[in-house]
Amino acid sequence: MLKLSAPRKRLFGFILLGWALLLISDRIDELRQYQGAFVAMYTLAIASIILLTGYSGQLSLGHSALMAVGAYAGALSVNNFKLHPVIALIMAALVAGIFGLLLGYAAARLSGPYLAGTTLALAVSLPTIANQFPVLGGEQGLAFDIGTAPTRLGEDFSQYQWFFWISCLSALIMIWFLVNLLNSRYGRQFRALRDNPTAAQLAGINIGRQKALAFSLSAGIAGLSGGLLVMLISGVSPSAFPLSLSFLLLAGAVVTGVYSLKGVIIGALVLVAIPEIAESVVSRIGGSEGFTTSLPGFMVSSLLILAVLFAPNGPGHLLHKKKHLKH
Amino acid sequence: MNQFITAVLTSLSTGAIYALMSIALVLVWRSTRVINFAQAGQAILTTYIGYEVVTRSGSYWIGLICAVISGALLGAGIDRFFMRPIFKRVNSGPIVMIAPVVATLALLGIIQAIIGFIWGLSYQTIEAPISTGGLTIFGSIVAFSPFNLMVLIAVTLSMISLTILFQKTNIGLALRASAYAPEIAKLSGIRVDAVRTLGWALAGAAGGLAGMLYIPGSNLYPNAMDVLLVFGFIAAVIGGLDSLFGAVAGAMILGFAVNFSASYISYKLVFPTAFLILIVVLLIKPKGVFSSGKSRSA
Amino acid sequence: MIRNTRMKRFSIVSVVATVGALVFSTLPAQAAEPGLSAKEIKLGYSGPLTGSAGQVYGKLPGAMKAYFDHINANGGVNGRKIKLVVRDDKYLPTLAATQTTNLVLNDKVFALVGALGTATHSKAYVAAQLAKNNVPDLFVNTGFSGFANATKYPTAFTILPSYAMEAKIMAKFIKDTPTLAPQASFLIAQDDEFGVDGVNGFKLAGHSFAAAPTLYPQGGLSAALAEGALTKLSAVPGKPVLVLFGTTDSTAVILKAAEKLSLVSKFTWIAGSVGGDANTLLALGVKPATINGALAASFFPDAKDATDPYVSEFMKINTKYNKGVSFDNVVLQGMNSAMLTVQSLRAAGKNLTRAGLIKAIESKGASFASAGLVPLNYSASSRVGYNGYWFGQLNEKGELKPFGGKLSVYTTDSSSTSAPTASSYERKPVPKNGVPTNS
Repeated sequence: MLKLSAPRKRLFGFILLGWALLLISDRIDELRQYQGAFVAMYTLAIASIILLTGYSGQLSLGHSALMAVGAYAGALSVNNFKLHPVIALIMAALVAGIFGLLLGYAAARLSGPYLAGTTLALAVSLPTIANQFPVLGGEQGLAFDIGTAPTRLGEDFSQYQWFFWISCLSALIMIWFLVNLLNSRYGRQFRALRDNPTAAQLAGINIGRQKALAFSLSAGIAGLSGGLLVMLISGVSPSAFPLSLSFLLLAGAVVTGVYSLKGVIIGALVLVAIPEIAESVVSRIGGSEGFTTSLPGFMVSSLLILAVLFAPNGPGHLLHKKKHLKH
Repeated sequence: MNQFITAVLTSLSTGAIYALMSIALVLVWRSTRVINFAQAGQAILTTYIGYEVVTRSGSYWIGLICAVISGALLGAGIDRFFMRPIFKRVNSGPIVMIAPVVATLALLGIIQAIIGFIWGLSYQTIEAPISTGGLTIFGSIVAFSPFNLMVLIAVTLSMISLTILFQKTNIGLALRASAYAPEIAKLSGIRVDAVRTLGWALAGAAGGLAGMLYIPGSNLYPNAMDVLLVFGFIAAVIGGLDSLFGAVAGAMILGFAVNFSASYISYKLVFPTAFLILIVVLLIKPKGVFSSGKSRSA
Repeated sequence: MIRNTRMKRFSIVSVVATVGALVFSTLPAQAAEPGLSAKEIKLGYSGPLTGSAGQVYGKLPGAMKAYFDHINANGGVNGRKIKLVVRDDKYLPTLAATQTTNLVLNDKVFALVGALGTATHSKAYVAAQLAKNNVPDLFVNTGFSGFANATKYPTAFTILPSYAMEAKIMAKFIKDTPTLAPQASFLIAQDDEFGVDGVNGFKLAGHSFAAAPTLYPQGGLSAALAEGALTKLSAVPGKPVLVLFGTTDSTAVILKAAEKLSLVSKFTWIAGSVGGDANTLLALGVKPATINGALAASFFPDAKDATDPYVSEFMKINTKYNKGVSFDNVVLQGMNSAMLTVQSLRAAGKNLTRAGLIKAIESKGASFASAGLVPLNYSASSRVGYNGYWFGQLNEKGELKPFGGKLSVYTTDSSSTSAPTASSYERKPVPKNGVPTNS
């Protein structure tokens, strides 16, 4: 054990996880494969928020817009530029990353609520641009087909299992990359940025550039998750990226513990599990339409408040029971 | 010409409603340094209460008064029993930065869910107390009604009263002092906590008024005021979160920009226009148009 | 450091183990056809229950369920009872995609019935892989002519006449009516396949509007936009004809804007069948005086016409099984589709399969009893349901009476330029007690 360096152990851990997921995917039914793909997608999206808010201290309410940028980039790559769907996913991350870089530079001077306000406005306005330019498909949106699994895998290979593989693989690669990044010099610089910008500046860190970089990375990851979302629903349209999605992702991040990537899957599982739990509650105790539709939102919000009150720095810290000054 | 007059008038009335929301947000920001996302939830909940009163009593005006009062009570209650405990519990670790924001977001969700539980999600309506037919100006009918005019007057009166309160009364002085320098204010004998709760109460009242003025032109459902929250927030940021005057000015700027671009360019660009104005303002003045130059430590 | 990675690996493994336990516990028992048991047939519906479109169409699934309850009380279909699973998609394409996928994967329904919404369902059809899973998609509640394309939507059957058909018949009506023909006409339509289908229909009919159509985003017609559009149009001389092609909630917004600007009598209003449901318009706050005289197309008898045998039969079922809901065109539509569904299930026989259901509609669907005043056109080569309209005028009570006093029904198609032809179709008599006995 002591012979392996930390990065090697990490890599080993990820490969192990990937293998486990591969085995599981054969055993579960299509519904769970579908949901699993969603979990992977949300994991990426929540990770992007953890990077931006938890590690570099910038609160963004606009991640739904960043996902949208990636999603549309991916859809256009396939439809208009006839690229291979996998390349399209990479494009999704790249385009969103570039967009995030520009946004990051613009937002670098903004603090707290001003940044929040700007990202909020972005989240609300960006999807509506799709209505203005016909090439973006308007309300109807664009179709996105990731294609069927290679025939090598057999006639009966479920499309949903294919989704599961692609989502999980993308998530694993990205998260592994992110974990390594955060354990490196960049991660330390981000945290310095968050905890004490003045000291960081004195230590020679270029605040504006680091902020923009964090934004760009976060946007790229969000863009990739946007591309995955679009794959799962076979198309993109403005209604896929409402402001409430940003809130949902933030909730998932806080429930996980926004300062650490450790439990990021938990947040994603919660987001996917809650509608199901709500449904089974409703089927058991019945209820009016208002009750049924409002219950999932109620559960997420309550969970969020509980998380803020009782595990503000993440459930992982609850387990440790040590007082952490910083992560 | 008709189009121009209509655009000006609708800009004024939508700007007025945004102003109420942004005033509410700024009031809370100044007293607590928190962006109260739950404002939209508070406002719509008090509007539902107003709706119930209107339906039972048959009078819009009684409903309006009840909405404003319940808005004040709700705002005060939220500060006293929700925000303060959260601030007490969450006082260490990096979460301190975003806990209040997240808490108000969660509160918004809970309020809207509870409304859904109690009233359901069907659209309700609140009848305007006066005519909503277009007025005749210069011989042609414009899309501005006596009710729109009433909204404008109500908001102007509110702003005047708030300004008088802040500038000319002792309570106003206490509100300003507690926001600007809480330690010094405490030393001067001002009960900072009570004053802060008052700020929340005023904000809640403003939200209740906004709801009762806005909903008669639209429908009543739990998410009806979400878009107002967005515009109110953008307006407050444009104006500079520390300035009430900035809140109103920002709201008017936004109202005009949005309505004119919708009328003359394309209705599809309403939100992008708002975003554009915001980003341009913040690039030039990162703390809003009317912010004071010096930065504070609090 | 070591503790952290061990902790991390432990938590990863425990998460994986938990997930694994969860998923193992949900391995389904393999049924021959999903949604089918000896006692039950599970059908699924995805459409708006909440939101602005939900205010109008929210009562559709309840109406279908009421009819199914009636059938279940009378022996069901070949001994099986029908259960309807309803999911809300708020008229949003993305939500429709996930909800329909849930209906197929999660609720495991046998077939979909009555899915509502053009943009929503076209997305949902692809996302939920209905073609691949051969899930029958019965009587889709949209007039989008594309759904009749059996290559793209192999398991779908439309029921509403397409918007293109409606536009062609509208164009003919305008041309044939002396008071309307010379006036300038304008189109205000929903900005998706719904509206575009209508625009194409007018083109096919050779009808030209005085200006380019005003298109608004689905679900996004604000009062301000409507007021702006109407203000511009008020400058047109004479009495222009305004054709409204959109859902009822949007029609209501436009009419209310006209009220505000006192422009109601300035225009002749023609509301599409989807958006012209008078009862709903009145319920949404449009004044009776406003809809008085407005023209609307329909292919059903008027829902308020209790002398019509189908309407009266459905009204009885509604009173018994759908308490508290007033009977209107939406309820009529729902019950009619439910009745067609029951006839389809019966025609497919006791040995019910998905493929068999589709075949049954193809071969026998055209002869089903239905409330429509135009024929159903299902066949081995056609997925088209109703294909015609009659024109009427609304009065203050919201009743649609035949224009000029005489009921003239026309039928046409969605893609050719040939003019609509008068139809002499006679409906089948309503099944006794509303319970079909076909096979």
